[in-house]
Amino acid sequence: MDDLLQHFIVEAHELIQQATDDLLALERDPSGTMHLDSAFRAVHTLKGSVGLFDFAPMGLALHAAEDLLGALRAGQGHIDSDVIDSLLDCIDQTERWAGTIEQTGKLPSDAAEEGYRLARLMRSQLDNGSTSVAPAIPEADLGWVGELMARSDVSTPSREQDKPLVAVRYTPRADCFFAGDDPIALLRSVPDLVAVRLATRDPWPPAAEIDPFACNLRIEVLSSAGLDAVKAAFRFVPDQVKIHEIAQSPGDHAHVAEAGHQFAGPAAGTTGGASARMLRVDAARIDRLADLVGEMVVAKNALAHLAGLAADGLDRKDFAHGLLASQAAIDRLVAEMHRAVMDVRMMPMRDIFRRFPRVVRDIAGHLGKAIDFSMEGEDVEADKAVVEGLFEPLLHVLRNAVGHGAEPEHVRQEAGKPTRTRIVLRARRIGERVMVEVEDDGRGIDPAAIRRVARERGVSSADDLECMSDAEVIELIFAPGFSTASEVTDLSGRGVGMDAVRFAVESLGGQASVRSTQGRGTTIRLSLPLTVVMTRVMAVRVGRELYGIPLDGIVEAAFVPASRILPVRDAEAFVLRDRTLPFVRLADLLDIPRPAEPRSGMKVVVMEVGDELVGIAVDEFAERMDVLMRPMTGILAGAPGVMGTTLLGDGSVLMILDTPELLG
Amino acid sequence: MSARRDGNVIVLEGACRVEDAEPLLAWLQADRGLIVDLSGAEHLHAAVLQILMAMRPALKGSARDAFIREWLTPVLSEADPLGMAPHEG
Repeated sequence: MDDLLQHFIVEAHELIQQATDDLLALERDPSGTMHLDSAFRAVHTLKGSVGLFDFAPMGLALHAAEDLLGALRAGQGHIDSDVIDSLLDCIDQTERWAGTIEQTGKLPSDAAEEGYRLARLMRSQLDNGSTSVAPAIPEADLGWVGELMARSDVSTPSREQDKPLVAVRYTPRADCFFAGDDPIALLRSVPDLVAVRLATRDPWPPAAEIDPFACNLRIEVLSSAGLDAVKAAFRFVPDQVKIHEIAQSPGDHAHVAEAGHQFAGPAAGTTGGASARMLRVDAARIDRLADLVGEMVVAKNALAHLAGLAADGLDRKDFAHGLLASQAAIDRLVAEMHRAVMDVRMMPMRDIFRRFPRVVRDIAGHLGKAIDFSMEGEDVEADKAVVEGLFEPLLHVLRNAVGHGAEPEHVRQEAGKPTRTRIVLRARRIGERVMVEVEDDGRGIDPAAIRRVARERGVSSADDLECMSDAEVIELIFAPGFSTASEVTDLSGRGVGMDAVRFAVESLGGQASVRSTQGRGTTIRLSLPLTVVMTRVMAVRVGRELYGIPLDGIVEAAFVPASRILPVRDAEAFVLRDRTLPFVRLADLLDIPRPAEPRSGMKVVVMEVGDELVGIAVDEFAERMDVLMRPMTGILAGAPGVMGTTLLGDGSVLMILDTPELLG
Repeated sequence: MSARRDGNVIVLEGACRVEDAEPLLAWLQADRGLIVDLSGAEHLHAAVLQILMAMRPALKGSARDAFIREWLTPVLSEADPLGMAPHEG
């Protein structure tokens, strides 16, 4: 993809987001001219950028949206949810198009049709807006169709009576001649004309002031050629025509139907951003990195100087001293560079949060729930992987809050609560962690219902449930198998339950928890690490391969003489300081052939797994190291027993083992 | 040029294009008594047509072109034009 297009995509996503934010704000506060201006600017800029490429339908739709926003700015028409819906419809489609362009470099094949529909939708809003200023009823807008029909009865015999008719009102733009348009040539190309009415858009000025180059026509046409053929004739001027299909009933009652298309429902969820998005970085952070690289060069030079001195026969003690100082400096720099790189990867929650008001609005609209949605802490920053990884889980939690948490209005009123359910999405930084909460003041979770469902679905045994506190019971919503397909609606998710939320959060190194008071509301809390942290691992060798084991699970490393390894039924155990521990070979866990074992004994890594200690036999202990662990992705993501990988100094890959999983 | 002046008749011939609108307007502004002959016209550009609609000159001859004859001439010769009579001035 060429550079220009790439920049366009990045810019488009931002402008689309901006426009969406502004439109939603505008819906809440229709008098907010600031948001109206901002939305207009975003759409205007986007339209301008689109013009650089061959994406005519996109430009067409945006142009119409711009006109509509412009008219609203000029005080023509009302800002109501209908207008906002139309504009959002247009912006949504633009976003989908931007996504398609990002993937394929071009618009989908149905774009022309869709662009046309959107442009017309905007136009009709514009017309409704201007007529609603005058106390005219919407039907009056279609009066011309009736007149045209009456006319056709006079001018043509009833031979066309059975055919469906299409009525077109074509108002060419005043400057259309300069664009090379000839509305009459276009009229000529309309097939199967039944009636034509030519009028002026505005009354003629005095003869001396007529401008021969300004088009002042309004052309109304009735055709029996069918909707598609008529639309095809006007395909280049969709923003200047209104097309209505007229179903003729025998009773001579003309039925006028807006020839719109079915709204394509919003694509199921917004894609979680798995595609490689570009990262926008504050220039200061890059400067900081550049500074550090400069310091690194200085440190390297110092090392070179030291090497020179060593060649000249420097005293051994001085040399060791110099080397240590140099190493300390480089250590510090590496740590700082790591932090600086992490900073570059930091992004504010806003980048995902800003998509939620729209989502909540849509779900609430769909379910007919009244929701007051607010957000706090959009500025809290975390690593890109953490922030982006939160989108899907939060989406699901919010869907639940609207779908299950919010009660119907009358229930709330009876309970003495405000009619609108309050949902707050909040991010906070607590030490080295970021806490994201979704809090609602809805019906809360009924522990008795959870107990019943958990028993029915075999999530937990009756005995266990008996012993659990209400708080523990509520936590069961995160248990696998708790939500079932019966609850899966198009709103509450695509077959994902709260267990998927917990899984997603835990795979980011976080935890999910829930607090709920029946009748008062529910809070889902996700706690995540701020960054992808350096992991301390101990490298061990089995055969010729090196593996990493996270140090935090290791209790000690020991040498166990062969005599102390005892067979226990079909397994083995060993005694360590008067405790008998299970003994397993890492080679067995990894399903690789056991290398020849020394007679004297085995090297064992003693690990804490759950509440128990386990000895894991390896061939060799290698060094401890700090590594930047990369989680497994792609086809390796499902590899069991492997937490992630890291690159070693020699370029080889070290697999970091998830020992509890291997043992499980 | 598809518009030419022949005495007190303006003859529109062939495909009349946007450039024909200005001279046509100038002639009709100068003399509202001129007659327009459409019989040889094969097409009237919208710019030309709207001048005829605005100035409403007397027409002469029936256009050979079916489209003009069927759909445009009736508009120009309507007894009660649809609110497009030129303002006197």
